[in-house]
Amino acid sequence: MTQTMTARDRVMRALAGEKVTPVPCFSGVGNVTSAGLDKLGYRFANVHNNAKMMAESAMTTYELFGYECVVMPFDLCLEAEIMGCKMNPYADSSELLYPTIKEKSTPTTEQLRAIARDPELANKGRLPLMREALKIVRAKLGNQVAVGTYVLGPFTLGGQVSELEHLLKNAFKKPDEMLEYLDAMAEVIIRIGGHLMESGYDYISVREMGATTDVLSPRVFKKIIAPALTKVAKGLKGPRILHICGQVGPIIADMAACGYDALSIDSKTSMKAAREAVGPGVVILGNFNPFAVLNTGDAQQAYNAIAQCVREGVNGVHPGCDIWPTAKPENIQAMMRAVRETSAD
Amino acid sequence: MAMDEAKKKELLQKLAQGVTEFDDDMVREAAEEWVASGDDTYDAIFDGLVAGMEEVGRLFSAQEYFVPEMLMAADSLYIGLDIMKPHMIQRYTGVRGTVVIGTVQGDVHDIGKNIVKMMFDVAGFNVFDLGRDVPLEEFLKKQLETNSDIVCLSAMMTTTMMGMPKVIAMIKEKNPNCKILIGGAPITDDVAVKFGADGTARDASNALEEAVKMIVALKNIQKEAMAKAGK
Ligand code: B12
Repeated sequence: MTQTMTARDRVMRALAGEKVTPVPCFSGVGNVTSAGLDKLGYRFANVHNNAKMMAESAMTTYELFGYECVVMPFDLCLEAEIMGCKMNPYADSSELLYPTIKEKSTPTTEQLRAIARDPELANKGRLPLMREALKIVRAKLGNQVAVGTYVLGPFTLGGQVSELEHLLKNAFKKPDEMLEYLDAMAEVIIRIGGHLMESGYDYISVREMGATTDVLSPRVFKKIIAPALTKVAKGLKGPRILHICGQVGPIIADMAACGYDALSIDSKTSMKAAREAVGPGVVILGNFNPFAVLNTGDAQQAYNAIAQCVREGVNGVHPGCDIWPTAKPENIQAMMRAVRETSAD
Repeated sequence: MAMDEAKKKELLQKLAQGVTEFDDDMVREAAEEWVASGDDTYDAIFDGLVAGMEEVGRLFSAQEYFVPEMLMAADSLYIGLDIMKPHMIQRYTGVRGTVVIGTVQGDVHDIGKNIVKMMFDVAGFNVFDLGRDVPLEEFLKKQLETNSDIVCLSAMMTTTMMGMPKVIAMIKEKNPNCKILIGGAPITDDVAVKFGADGTARDASNALEEAVKMIVALKNIQKEAMAKAGK
């Protein structure tokens, strides 16, 4: 019965907490591959600012490998651009590089509140492009496959639009100011993420990788970061995934309390420990290291790593961060095979 | 008026504790008192400030401290350093050198690089910081301009680290004597060898140790060359 569902149904049901067999294999973050880009004859640096190229590139992982989602955009600069930052796509570089922010706009708390209320927001930055790209995907694939998008979490977005070092210190030195700042940032994220969801995306990830316990103490996470993440969850409609990479064992229960439909973790956090900490009712996506599994290892290693995720009871097989474009096609195929062959009914 | 041992010990303790507890005022007062005594500040920097930072490193490894604590401790350390450095009598003047440091193109992770840089500042190196996301040719340009003994490259991603061998090749071609130290989470000893770097280090204090070794080696080469030339 589950076999006849579309890829979209499978993902949406898994996010709603239903058991789906085999477990869906998808991502809430970037997953475009060089294999896909080469097929289209596109350069990575050129696809971020063109709706057609973005949409076509985004569909290739589904089309080539049966990966069960389409996710846009591919970079972490969408909200920052709307907030007045400048992105560098590395158009002239011979290497394949992820776009970064080259000019930070460093908005104040008051300016953030104003951005969140901007009546023109829907026409700013690449939001029109994001709507257009979604239309292109739907025109080609209809509702066969779930189309996801993502935003950064309040703290990580703060690090994109201003100096992260400054925020890190303030989280410690001036907690009250920081709470206000992140609250305002949450409003901006709700506006931008909310607009994306209203325009028809199926699910949304909130990526708060700047607040992993590799960087911030569990105490600061609970006191400073969690309130803003909770606000974002409350303000967004539709399936929401909270994604934090790095070690999140000590904060996974606090993450669960933020009120998202699903949590997404990476290989540094043990799936067993995470499950124990949050119980069987919480949807957990994870938890393989995409670079090690899809880029550096061989196909058999990829198969084994994915089989382990399935065995440990993930509700969806999901990478710890973006799939790096140069992922080996044979490893992606091995991943898809492992999911089919090792998911028990 | 020179200080007695008890006073020295008290101030060293304050400098270290001030860094470990990011107490800027404690560091400032102790540093000013030390400078006022007229004593050489070398011990105060190494047995006070740096000892405090080493404790911070230990607390970081033990996951009692996190990145914000480390950054705040670094700020406190710089406060003491700015006050005391002008009064330091260099011990190993032969070892001091010039360093160009930066995070390679495509990579905006610079927290670790900044901590490595701090150790060089502490040790009295002349440091040129190119920042983060540095175009690969910039490293060569700055090396040639400053004739630095060492170039330090940082990368935090498995992908951006692939820019490192290119920088290394560019610099070695123009200036084979320049030593290149690379680091960051994805860099292992094997990677460093493969890329043709002269060394790597896990953390900031090891980076400094490596750098000092390199400078000594460099100076020896220069001495030999001069001896051969009959000077
Ligand atoms: C903070 C952080 C960020 C911040 C960076 C802010 C800043 N100003 O630095 C933000 C949020 C912007 C960010 C963005 C991204 N990040 Co990030 N980030 C981290 C994180 C969590 C911590 C890094 C850190 O600062 N550590 C603390 C410092 C003190 O340690 P350190 O950097 O290792 O430095 C020490 C040593 O390495 C050494 N060292 C460092 N440099 C040098 C140089 C020399 C010469 C020597 C000798 C020694 C040396 O000494 C230092 C002091 O002890 C790591 C995960 C982790 N736990 O490492 C991921 C991580 C590095 N990021 C990663 C990724 C993929 C990204 C993104 C692509 C987005 C994403 N998918 O998450 C973007 C890309 C940005 C870009 N293009 O550069 C990956 C890299 C994966 C890989 N192997 O390629 C990591 C490992 C996380 C992960 N598992 O996915 N990130």
